[in-house]
Amino acid sequence: MQIVTKGVAGTMESSDISVRIEPREGEGITLTLTSAVMQQFGKQIEAVIRGTLASLGVTSAVVDAVDKGALDCTVEARVKTAAYRAAKCEAYVWENRK
Amino acid sequence: MELETGALSAARENEIRAFLAERGLTMEGGADYCAVLRDDAGRLAACGCLDGSVIKYVAVSPAAEGEGAAATIVSELVNHAYREGKAHLFLFTKPGSEDMFRSLGFHPVARTGDAVMLEDRRDGIDRFIASLPKAEGIKGACVVNCDPFTLGHRYLIETAAKACDFLYVFVVSEDAAHFPAKDRYELVKRGTADLANIAVVQSEDYLVSRATFPAYFIKDRVRAEDVRTEMDIAVFAGRIAPGVGVTRRYVGTEPYCPVTRAYNEKMRELLPAYGIEFIEIPRKDGISASAVRRFLKEGRLGEIETLVPPTTYAYLKNLA
Repeated sequence: MQIVTKGVAGTMESSDISVRIEPREGEGITLTLTSAVMQQFGKQIEAVIRGTLASLGVTSAVVDAVDKGALDCTVEARVKTAAYRAAKCEAYVWENRK
Repeated sequence: MELETGALSAARENEIRAFLAERGLTMEGGADYCAVLRDDAGRLAACGCLDGSVIKYVAVSPAAEGEGAAATIVSELVNHAYREGKAHLFLFTKPGSEDMFRSLGFHPVARTGDAVMLEDRRDGIDRFIASLPKAEGIKGACVVNCDPFTLGHRYLIETAAKACDFLYVFVVSEDAAHFPAKDRYELVKRGTADLANIAVVQSEDYLVSRATFPAYFIKDRVRAEDVRTEMDIAVFAGRIAPGVGVTRRYVGTEPYCPVTRAYNEKMRELLPAYGIEFIEIPRKDGISASAVRRFLKEGRLGEIETLVPPTTYAYLKNLA
């Protein structure tokens, strides 16, 4: 999946995560994570974000995420939504499990 | 609590003005979009506005504090801005609120004693600095609006470029001027194409003009103008100049506009502390962008021809 524009999903309210995905020059994912629970779950959230992007075939993007204690399923949903928006793609494959 | 969003109608504006005033904040100018939270009785509990690419007027009542009201408001404003296609957002606040906005995904650009400037991407300003051309030797900079580019600007740039090894010409990217930012930038580029040791670059949103930097959170209204100027200087002298090794700032003398003159005086006072020399170049008599705009309005193209380079003249002739 090719990121072509800025895509955003989620909010910065409690138990949610705001995910912003932008095109990046060159390969790789640049991830900035701000989290209220960075100490305990920072690594886990990052793994979910990267895993979700990988499952969508996104290999190049700038990702900025502001987490307010979202569950993994929420993180995954927000990342997917933001990625589809940033790819201007409406052929959703919601059932595609990792 | 109920979230309500939309344009800043007259009724909402009055409500927000009163809400801000209760918190010692001053409404200054309008906004494109606002988000408010109301309590069960319909009273304002929190508010925030989006004005161009700037988030402002963020305030929360004591009763709603600690309940994520600010997060709701800022989320809504940020998401709205992205939906509208805005790629880069800014926010200015008092130092005590920096942490709160950092937790909402904003990253500091520059600080003064009274204010912090934040942006919505980490390393945004570092990436801007990295995108600037690199040069050797003594480097100078001038920041120009060029609305439009005249022989006066040309004289300033040429004189400054002769006095140092390399000159950065930052063209303010804000669209509050009479001519669009893209056109102003193009005209500076074309009108200086023969100068080898300069780089004409768009300031993006980093060299913020006084118009876009809201100072509503500054309680001392007399200080507000100074605070804007100091922030602008902190961004230029504290971040951009050291990033590319600029040690001189060139300006033209300002005989007419008191605001610009006060701004220059502030730079004269503050720049040395940043290790930057402030150099004023005497302005060319009788040439001003405002005169060019007046002649254009009156259709006096002949007079314009004597005030601007051929490249600007060709552009203006096409408009007339």
